[in-house]
This record gives sequence, C-alpha cells and structure tokens, in this order.
Amino acid sequence: MFENKLEVSLYRYNPEEDKFPYMKKYSIDKPSKDIMVLDLLNLLKEDDQSISYRRSCREGVCGSDGMNINGKNGLACITPLSSVLKKNKIELRPLPGLPVIRDLVVDMSEFYAQYEKIKPFLQNETTAPEQERLQSPEDRDKLDGLYECILCACCSTSCPSFWWNPDKFVGPAALLQAYRFLADSRDLKTSQRLEDLSDPFSVYRCHGIMNCVNVCPKGLNPNKAIGEIKSMLHKNKKDIIASDIN
Amino acid sequence: MRGSIIWYTQRYSALLLLCYVIYISNFIFFKDNITYFTWSNFFLSFQARLFTSLIFLTLVLHAFIGLWTVGTDYLIDRTLGFLSFALSRHANLIRNIYFFIFTLFGIVYLTFILYIIWT
Ligand code: SF4
Ligand code: SF4
Ligand code: FES
Repeated sequence: MFENKLEVSLYRYNPEEDKFPYMKKYSIDKPSKDIMVLDLLNLLKEDDQSISYRRSCREGVCGSDGMNINGKNGLACITPLSSVLKKNKIELRPLPGLPVIRDLVVDMSEFYAQYEKIKPFLQNETTAPEQERLQSPEDRDKLDGLYECILCACCSTSCPSFWWNPDKFVGPAALLQAYRFLADSRDLKTSQRLEDLSDPFSVYRCHGIMNCVNVCPKGLNPNKAIGEIKSMLHKNKKDIIASDIN
Repeated sequence: MRGSIIWYTQRYSALLLLCYVIYISNFIFFKDNITYFTWSNFFLSFQARLFTSLIFLTLVLHAFIGLWTVGTDYLIDRTLGFLSFALSRHANLIRNIYFFIFTLFGIVYLTFILYIIWT
C-alpha cells in the first residue's frame, strides 16, 4: 500500500504568520504516469492553496521555477519526478542562499544586481549601419553556449562563493553573460568590461568548485566562461584594446 | 589591488614551494649518510640560506592569501549569521581580530626563521 503514496517534504514559510521556516510533510497518491516536479506542486496546491512558488512557461524557457529538488537545484517544470524520487520521497526547498519571501519564492534582487553590474547589452558607439551590425559565422559561433542562459539562478545559488559574497562576487550566471559580451565581436567595450571585473572578488572568488556546471538545466558551462574571462584578464592589455579598435 | 596579482602570487608561490621541496628531497635522498655535519653544512651555504629565507617569505605570503580568502568568505556578517545574530553583528570586528592575529603570527614566525637561518 505504501508504494502507492508519495511523501513530499515542502519548505514552508510565511513571514506574516511563521516565526521560523519549517518543513511540512504531504502524502499524495503516486501519479499513474511520470510527471514533472512542477505538476506535483500543482497537485499539492489544489489541496493547499497557500503553497507559493513561481512558474510561468512550464517548459524550461522562462527560468522562474528554479528550486532545490532533493538537494540539487533545477527547474521544476523540466525535472521528471522519476529522476529525483528517492524511496518515494521528495524534498523541495527554495534556491539556497537568497532571502526567502514566502515558501519557494526567493528574493532575487542580489542576483539581478550582479547581472546589471556586468552591463548585459551590446556597447558599440560607432555609427550604426543601415540594417544591422554583421558578424562572421565564426564570430557568431563564439556566442553558442553563452546566449542560451535563461537566468534561472540555479547555478549562482548553488555556488558557495556566491552564498558568502553575493554583493561582491558576480556569480556564475552573470559571469557567463559577462563573457557573452566579451566574446561578441560587435561589442567594443572589451577592455572597460575587463577593467570592471579585475578586482579580487568579481571573478577571482570563483574557486572552480563546479557546482554551477553540475546544475545548469540548460547544460551550459559557466566555469568554462569564467576561465576564459580569467585568461583575458591575464592577456596583454594592448591586444585587447587592439581587438576593440578593429 | 588587482585580483590577477593575488591569483599569480598564489600560483607562483606554490610552484616555488614545490621547487624547494624538490631541492630538499634531493639532498635527503641522494646524499648517503646524512649526519649533523652534512646537514648543517648544507644549511650554512649562502645559497641554501638565501633560498630558505625566500621560501619562508613565500610561504607566509601564500598562507596570508589563503587565510585572507577564508576570512572574507566565512567571517562575514552573512556567514556568521548562520551561527548566531550576535556574532553576525560583530563580524567586522571578529574578522579584523582574525586578520591581526595571523598577520602578527606570520611576522613573528618569519622573524624567528630568518634569525635562525642567518645567525
Ligand atoms: S566553478 Fe566558480 S562559479 Fe561555479 S560554482 Fe564553483 S566557485 Fe561558483
Ligand atoms: S547558466 Fe544555466 S543555471 Fe545559470 S542562470 Fe543560466 S540557465 Fe540558469
Ligand atoms: S516554468 Fe518556466 S522554466 Fe519552469
């Protein structure tokens, strides 16, 4: 009989009522087919309307339902229950390290502040051509594995360096985007961008723990991008400035 | 301070320490019959003294960077807050005491070593 039940342990916290967060246990009939973790949350919410979490696209595109599923960060909507269930048990917690607003909803301000810091837009002050700024196919290829990030924060919130210094360490997500613009042949602020990252914290707090690579639901590799940024920082400044002028 | 300077210092100092380990092991393993005399003679040469002094300076520098990193990761209001609010409120003070202690320890340690080597 027990095999047909799922035991869900859910992080609950409503600052207006609870003094401390707590784990609440739910028992639910095991669905007949494999569903996603987000579907499971929806089922729970049918019975308990007070459960709060973010979601929108339900297909791994918007990045809003990042959460900690049985100890590993991921997107609930594209994580099949079968892939995470352990002895019919599942534990759901908010993304670690960020302040909790309520239940699985976290305050992402610090995460976005870092994203803002890296100036996530193309900087090119030369006169714009009539149609568009062109790029060779080879230069365009350099952006693969970088532009696909959906800013779900699964990586940054699994990174110990980001847990301890979210105000100073840019974190894997924003660093991946920093490199996305450093690697873009159309962007002409490469040396300024590097200068902004040259302090002991912004990039250098990455100790290559690789948690970020381990969790990214889009299969991206922030650690590799961070390595590229470091080698750019160690390059001769003149070469970088020359690449901006060309 | 540039992050790259710290980054390079940590890596090159580690390499230098490795060289020293090889240098000393080379003496220990390839010199048969080490006695007090051969050992102290080895350390009396100007070359060994200079290298040893340099190495201990490097060692202290290397340790300093490591401990500074640990301090700025784990002795901050956020991290100490996991233990208690009171500690978290005094994070800056705690961290500065910690920095002071290991800096002092490093200086005393280095002074002793240099004194032993050169006198
Ligand atoms: S590799 Fe760097 S950015 Fe990624 S989790 Fe580790 S410390 Fe964080
Ligand atoms: S790199 Fe991956 S895990 Fe990190 S924010 Fe982007 S999509 Fe999410
Ligand atoms: S709901 Fe959009 S990524 Fe999961």
